[in-house]
Amino acid sequence: MSKVYFSTWNGELVNNINTPIEEWKESAYNLPAQYDDHRDSKAFIGWDGVSLFDADVDVIRLAMEYAAQYQEYSEACGRCAPGRWGGRILYDQLDKIARGEGCVSDLDHLREIGKSMQMTSKCEIGKTVPNPILDLMKHFEDEFLACINEQKPSKHYHANVGYIAKITAPCTDACPAHVDIPGYIEGVRDLRFDDSLMATRQTMPLAHVCGRVCPHPCEDACRRTNLDEPISIMALKRLGADWETDHGYDFFHPMEKKPSIGKKVAVIGAGPAGLTTAYYLAAEGIEVDVFEELPVLGGEVAVGVPEYRMPVDKYNKDIECVRDMGVNFIVNKKVNADDMRKFEQEYDATMIATGTRISKKVYCENERASIKGYWSAIEMLDQVNLWDKYAIGEKVDLSGKTVVCVGGGFTSMDVVRCAIRANAKKVYMIYRRDEKTIIRNTTYEEYHEAVEEGVEFLFHSAVNTMTDENDVLKSLIIDKFELVPDPNGGRAELVKVEGASYVIETDFLIPAVSQSADLKLLPEEWEIEKTSWATIKTNGKDYMTSKKGIFASGDCEYGPMTIVNAVGQAKRASSVMARYVQTGEISLTDDEIMEDHLRKLHVYDKKEKVTGWLPGLAREHSEVVDVDIRKFNNMEVNLGFTQEQALSEADRCMRCYYIAMIAT
Amino acid sequence: MINNMIQFKIDGISVEAKKGETILNVARKNGIYIPTMCYISKTTPCASCRMCVVEAKGVEGFVLSCNTPPTQGIEITTNTKELELERTNIMKLYDVNHPLECGVCDKSGECDLQNKTLEFNVSTQNFSTREQHRPVEHWGLINYDPALCIMCEKCVHVCNEVIGDDAIDVKFGGYSSTIIPKKGDTLDCTFCGECIAVCPVGALVSSNFQYSANAWELTRIPATCAHCSGGCALEYETRHVGISNRDDSIYRVKNNFEFASLCGAGRFGYDFDNKVDEKDEKAFTKAVAAIKSTKAIRFSSMITNEEAHILQLLKEKLGVKLFNEDARKFKEFMNAYSSISGKKHHSGSLDAIKQADAVIILGSRISTDNPALRYALTTAAKHNGAKIVYAHPMEDALMQNTATQFMKYEVGTEEGVLALLANAILNDADLSEHERGFFDALDLGYLEAESNIGDEEIALMMKSFVRCKNYVLVIGNDLIAHERALNIAKLAAIIEKYSTFSLVVVPNEVNTLGVSLIADLDTDEDINDVVGYNAKGNFLISSLKFANLAVGSLNQQEGTFVSIDNRVLPTNVAVPFHGYTLNDIASACGIISENTIDYTSKLNAESGFKSVDFDSLENFLSPTGDDLRGYLLNEVECKMDGTLENVGDLPEFNGTVIYHSNPVLQFNAYTNIAKQLDKDTTLRGSAQFAQAAKISDGDRIEISFGSRTIQRNFKLDNELKGTIALNPIFDDVADASKYKFEKSKIVRVVHE
Repeated sequence: MSKVYFSTWNGELVNNINTPIEEWKESAYNLPAQYDDHRDSKAFIGWDGVSLFDADVDVIRLAMEYAAQYQEYSEACGRCAPGRWGGRILYDQLDKIARGEGCVSDLDHLREIGKSMQMTSKCEIGKTVPNPILDLMKHFEDEFLACINEQKPSKHYHANVGYIAKITAPCTDACPAHVDIPGYIEGVRDLRFDDSLMATRQTMPLAHVCGRVCPHPCEDACRRTNLDEPISIMALKRLGADWETDHGYDFFHPMEKKPSIGKKVAVIGAGPAGLTTAYYLAAEGIEVDVFEELPVLGGEVAVGVPEYRMPVDKYNKDIECVRDMGVNFIVNKKVNADDMRKFEQEYDATMIATGTRISKKVYCENERASIKGYWSAIEMLDQVNLWDKYAIGEKVDLSGKTVVCVGGGFTSMDVVRCAIRANAKKVYMIYRRDEKTIIRNTTYEEYHEAVEEGVEFLFHSAVNTMTDENDVLKSLIIDKFELVPDPNGGRAELVKVEGASYVIETDFLIPAVSQSADLKLLPEEWEIEKTSWATIKTNGKDYMTSKKGIFASGDCEYGPMTIVNAVGQAKRASSVMARYVQTGEISLTDDEIMEDHLRKLHVYDKKEKVTGWLPGLAREHSEVVDVDIRKFNNMEVNLGFTQEQALSEADRCMRCYYIAMIAT
Repeated sequence: MINNMIQFKIDGISVEAKKGETILNVARKNGIYIPTMCYISKTTPCASCRMCVVEAKGVEGFVLSCNTPPTQGIEITTNTKELELERTNIMKLYDVNHPLECGVCDKSGECDLQNKTLEFNVSTQNFSTREQHRPVEHWGLINYDPALCIMCEKCVHVCNEVIGDDAIDVKFGGYSSTIIPKKGDTLDCTFCGECIAVCPVGALVSSNFQYSANAWELTRIPATCAHCSGGCALEYETRHVGISNRDDSIYRVKNNFEFASLCGAGRFGYDFDNKVDEKDEKAFTKAVAAIKSTKAIRFSSMITNEEAHILQLLKEKLGVKLFNEDARKFKEFMNAYSSISGKKHHSGSLDAIKQADAVIILGSRISTDNPALRYALTTAAKHNGAKIVYAHPMEDALMQNTATQFMKYEVGTEEGVLALLANAILNDADLSEHERGFFDALDLGYLEAESNIGDEEIALMMKSFVRCKNYVLVIGNDLIAHERALNIAKLAAIIEKYSTFSLVVVPNEVNTLGVSLIADLDTDEDINDVVGYNAKGNFLISSLKFANLAVGSLNQQEGTFVSIDNRVLPTNVAVPFHGYTLNDIASACGIISENTIDYTSKLNAESGFKSVDFDSLENFLSPTGDDLRGYLLNEVECKMDGTLENVGDLPEFNGTVIYHSNPVLQFNAYTNIAKQLDKDTTLRGSAQFAQAAKISDGDRIEISFGSRTIQRNFKLDNELKGTIALNPIFDDVADASKYKFEKSKIVRVVHE
């Protein structure tokens, strides 16, 4: 709910004109009435309408400035005839009226050009820019006519007002890393794969990785869903990266590395968060040392995500791209509290990006690490991946063995599918909830591929007891549960079914329930604040910990989450850090403030009716290696799109760019 | 339904679409008009003009037809009052502030903006906006006027997707959006001029043509490009030179850019015609006498099929020998190919390359040898994501965005390389016992070591080809003149025979292929008594300078060529030639025919030529882009009497090696006289080469190779690597029919 003077946002008309402020009706939307901690918003204007928080807003200038922002600020613009000229005409005509030189026919021309833009523009940005302008012309026609008739400037035409604009898109907004998704899809559509890749790398250096193993929350916010099916956004990302790799190009960086500014940052952990921090800091001319405990770079994506999902040669390209920006990597270096104290002296800032590398317990009877056959998911995947990808350590061979994994998330999927590939005789997955939930927590493809490969899923089940003989695991007692609906309409509850428990003989129990962070590296005297789930606490906006100059991002901050989440956090943090090392201040840019406002507002509207596109064009699906071939090796399972598929999929993208602006 | 066609309706007419076809494609195929300003058939849709919007029944709003495939049963309407209104408004927008300087604009008379403004009857303007100052950019052969630019993006699309230069970019910025060079301040490209061709307005123009003529004054002469074997269609546009000189002169070259492309040599290198004021009877008499008494005629492959036919008739009548090493080697290569394949012509074509998703190119610096083939590769790489293996001793920066794998082999080891490739490709093929024996006998370790192609490279190639469906093998000129050419030809044939690869052998000159099919050629002997026909000899009959008798150039003749596609293509007279022709000489020798083109229908049927009169040969592309020019050679069955020879020792080339290879836009003595084309005669080499030869950038050097010694300037080229330098041959310093790599001795020329 927001208090507004006037609003047309999302079709909701709130009109408090001539109403005392105490009696103002509120808007149902989370509108950004407060810009930041020291500035109020006077107005918010965007693709879906306009909201005024103040009766004194100069609506004519607001409309003009919005058109101006579209015209000059928006890099997405200029790609179609109606948008390019139409946008300029909107701006010039509105400015003419606002200057006090307009005539009545200008209003007609504005309406006419506005309609042409709505009907024929290439992207949503061109189609939607006229919306709030026409709203203002409709509801404040008197003010427009007054300026025209009296040939006077609009009321605050010469006042010093801040207008802050931001381009977004539903998918971009939903992506934790705020990747310019329409931009990289346009690159594919135009066969400009370098542009595609650079669009991705503006906020996401791991294009190979997130073109393969991202859970793609963006696709849940794809406006095409309102028409038929969402765009296969993730799969289109790897085209740019594959183009660069296949053709042996040097790395297409979206920015030029700035000359050294004489500042140094230490990054602890070379996983997605660490790599992302390093990449964007190095681009700012900051010297970055990344310390990695393992002998290899890449963090959990390297030693957690198996080769068949994320081929390491491709991941290494992403890592090389980061290195190419001028980042120093130090491997085999486990950072401890003493190191941290030293880093505080030697570096201008420190990023902790150590992930969550401790597998949580199953919490069953007789659960002891000393029982042979009790194997944490992290350790198991470390061993599998270090051998498969780097030939370090020992090959995992589970021939003749039975493996039980307890989990339900991505890590557990990796465990069971790796166990299949290690030739296990039988692989079970124990999960407390049902099939629908496991698909929601992972992906449809992941679950079905695991089933195809022969993993047996035991739903509504949990391990009650580990049974051992002389500290060697023999079997498990499994309890069965059922979902009992809450008579009060609340969330259904899992209730144990008495007498339904059973025994599974097994050689291994692999807990993959969740992971926690190992934070022993934090010097105690720093008293760094933690969350209630024992991760490092930040405000989720600037990612500085309770200790000045010490930042945290990725799983060690958020808890075990996705790669793209870690990247998003680290990208934001790197921007804050780059300013911090120079000024000692923590600040967000206007772009970042707007990003957070829009995230709160939600750019995607699943109820919106989409017009101007032909429905019924099916989403493409990439080919997957046949199960009988893939389950015996580490071949990449998903072959990706053929070029034909990719181009056809890219053509489905509706380029739902939007522009929003706040007046302060 | 058994087929995958989508049935739907456009304006009430039932139509069908294939997968991947858009509503606009289908409309055009069915003759239904939808206006566009930015659409160009050979690229992905630019989708910037928005003129092609249509209505679909049951769908709110307009649907863009150029990039939307139809759905089953949908009913499309292309012309309603609402569509007309919005399209008209778009035209009004295009006209906002467009400079009213049609009177001095090159494009006037053939301008899409003019045409559509009239079509939509835009005579008034409701919309106006502030004007901006945008100066003209001068980019060498190309000028760009941003004030005239309508930002259709066609130029950017062709440059990137079809040509492969990727040299221009859209600089976004709303109303002030503009086209800019992608790398650096000025245009750095191969100057194909396709951007000029596709520009619908006068924004991108030829700097040489600008202000020289109006579109409506020019006569269009359909012809075939005379510079390489690509067989590109072009139109010479001619006009009288002036009031006092009524002779026609070529003002510019244009092409059907909607479907076909042209390189810069074709587009800008048109002024190679041989100017002769009148018939020189004395010289003619001498020439006839020379022909009658000579032992041999040496000629180049830059002649028409009909001229080759006349030369063959002269041979038959007078018993002279015919020397043309270029065509002779090509013929021998193809004969060896036929002895395995059982047919005369290679199976592939430029179109097959455009459709391919897996290509191997062996033994050619293709970007300069045959730009048309390079463009086909660009199309395959961009549109099909083709895996393209570029095997050559020298990298080529122009190939980076097409090639997905560079296989660098040692100079001279081509036979070994092809044997290794064939061995991998035909691993599971159903070969004859003898053929299997050949592969079993290969010493792979030796071949890999000598050629420097590792088994992991071959494995990588095979892996990258796994999902591919359309394969092409391209054999370049390095192999045709190779000392092991015949066995190489047989290896290429066996790949084509037993795999799904189609084969393209790149002819060296414009009509190497045609000549090789027509003339019965003798091995060139170093004898004194030779008449040169556009080639060296004691008596010179030539369209070039220093001739004893001048004859017309290829833009002054009618006749046919055979292109790399095995297509017989007609070309026409763009500029009149006032002197004598080869046909006149032949007539004087008793081989009588009124016109040279009377021989078109008499060309050698045993080689696949059809008995078709020149005047019934078409020379255009259909409205949907089908190539209706000339005809394709008939396939000819051949005896399969060849056997593979074992691969012996591979040769070694040490020290400073030079590669006879022309720079961009240069091919031969004719491009060398074209005014607009850059004539870079420097020896270009890498820093490593410079070090090995003990020379540095800008040095005057003396290069000795074979029996020749020449002087050139040396240019350090940072895009090159290794110890091989590029030596141009368009200025006639080396024999183009020889193996292109040569050991050389290089010394710096010291000025006293």
